[in-house]
Amino acid sequence: MTRLHLFLAVVAAVMAAAAGAADLASPVESRASGAPAAFIAAPDLADRIVNGDARLRLFDLRPASAYEQFHIPTARRAAPAELAAAPLGSGADVVLYGDDRATVSDAIRVLRTRREATVQVLREGVSEWLGRVHEPRLAVDATPEERAQFERAAPLSRFFGGVPLAGVPRSEVPTGYWTGTPRSEELLEAAALQSVAMIRRRGC
Amino acid sequence: MTPLTETGWLGPSGALMAAPAIGFAFGWFLERGGLGSAPKLAGQFYLTDLTVFKVMFSALLTAMLGAFWLDRLGVLQLQLVYLPETFALPQAIGGALFGVGFLIAGLCPGTSCVAAATGRRDGLGVIAGMLLGVGLFNMAFAWIEPLYSATPMGAIRLTDLAGIAPGTGIACLTTVALTGFVVAGRIERRPR
Repeated sequence: MTRLHLFLAVVAAVMAAAAGAADLASPVESRASGAPAAFIAAPDLADRIVNGDARLRLFDLRPASAYEQFHIPTARRAAPAELAAAPLGSGADVVLYGDDRATVSDAIRVLRTRREATVQVLREGVSEWLGRVHEPRLAVDATPEERAQFERAAPLSRFFGGVPLAGVPRSEVPTGYWTGTPRSEELLEAAALQSVAMIRRRGC
Repeated sequence: MTPLTETGWLGPSGALMAAPAIGFAFGWFLERGGLGSAPKLAGQFYLTDLTVFKVMFSALLTAMLGAFWLDRLGVLQLQLVYLPETFALPQAIGGALFGVGFLIAGLCPGTSCVAAATGRRDGLGVIAGMLLGVGLFNMAFAWIEPLYSATPMGAIRLTDLAGIAPGTGIACLTTVALTGFVVAGRIERRPR
């Protein structure tokens, strides 16, 4: 072992010991950046909206123009900084959705400083809402499980003014976390960017 | 401020331009670390040359300590760094397959590219096999999918499973790694 190796080992040991001591002195849980927020699936969110859940507070973090064009019913638009003073009420269940992870993350950090509400995120935002609630699709050769999901989604879709599509070719039913094909160019672009991001993050 | 791509400092184009530079640096350091040589890599399995262990654990310690302290100092937003989801069974099977392939070929995906870039034909052979495997995986995906998505555990960390603070986990892992470096040195120096 050379002197350089010994020096680097000592540096690593000191930094590691300090990391342990820092967490004991100031636990991560008490810091605003904390653990990742929990996700909520679009059908579960739709159920809560339909049932008029009084604890639900839904915030749309996208720009005002996107919000005006379309937003999930009951959602209020807010910038992350505005959440610091938004009226929530004790025990509120906040659900967030937005266009990019940085904005959502900023909002989570702001809300965690208030310590009065749980925070969940609609992972794929409006794309997921459109695909799984607004326009659920059932393949012509659907499995019993897919049929059961569709039967749950179809009434929700109609409730929100959507159009459930049954008997569509299998090739038009995307697989994966969110299903459904967004029709506008903007949503297609957003979905493509999300797919690129997933591929990038799954690299070896 | 960081990660640059997630905070918007580096757009998609910037990220695409940064990727080759980072890839080049990664390959250069692997090659300089001696990991472009199949016999050296295979030595890991015969306990005759533990370079792989030392290089990889050095990188792991550097990244782990760096990420923790940069987050603590407010430079890095660690919660924005993607944490891959754990699927216990398929990843265990994949790890075993990876190990078998590593032992047979003497190279892993990254080092095979390094080997190929330095003109080694075994590197080219491994890359060809890897691409063939990718193709077969895609063709058989419908059949493999139930296993592929089995035993999902979400984006968890070892410290979550152990119920300890991240800093404590870092201290433990650093102790293990530093002890491992000493033991590896002794194993390499033992008479044969």
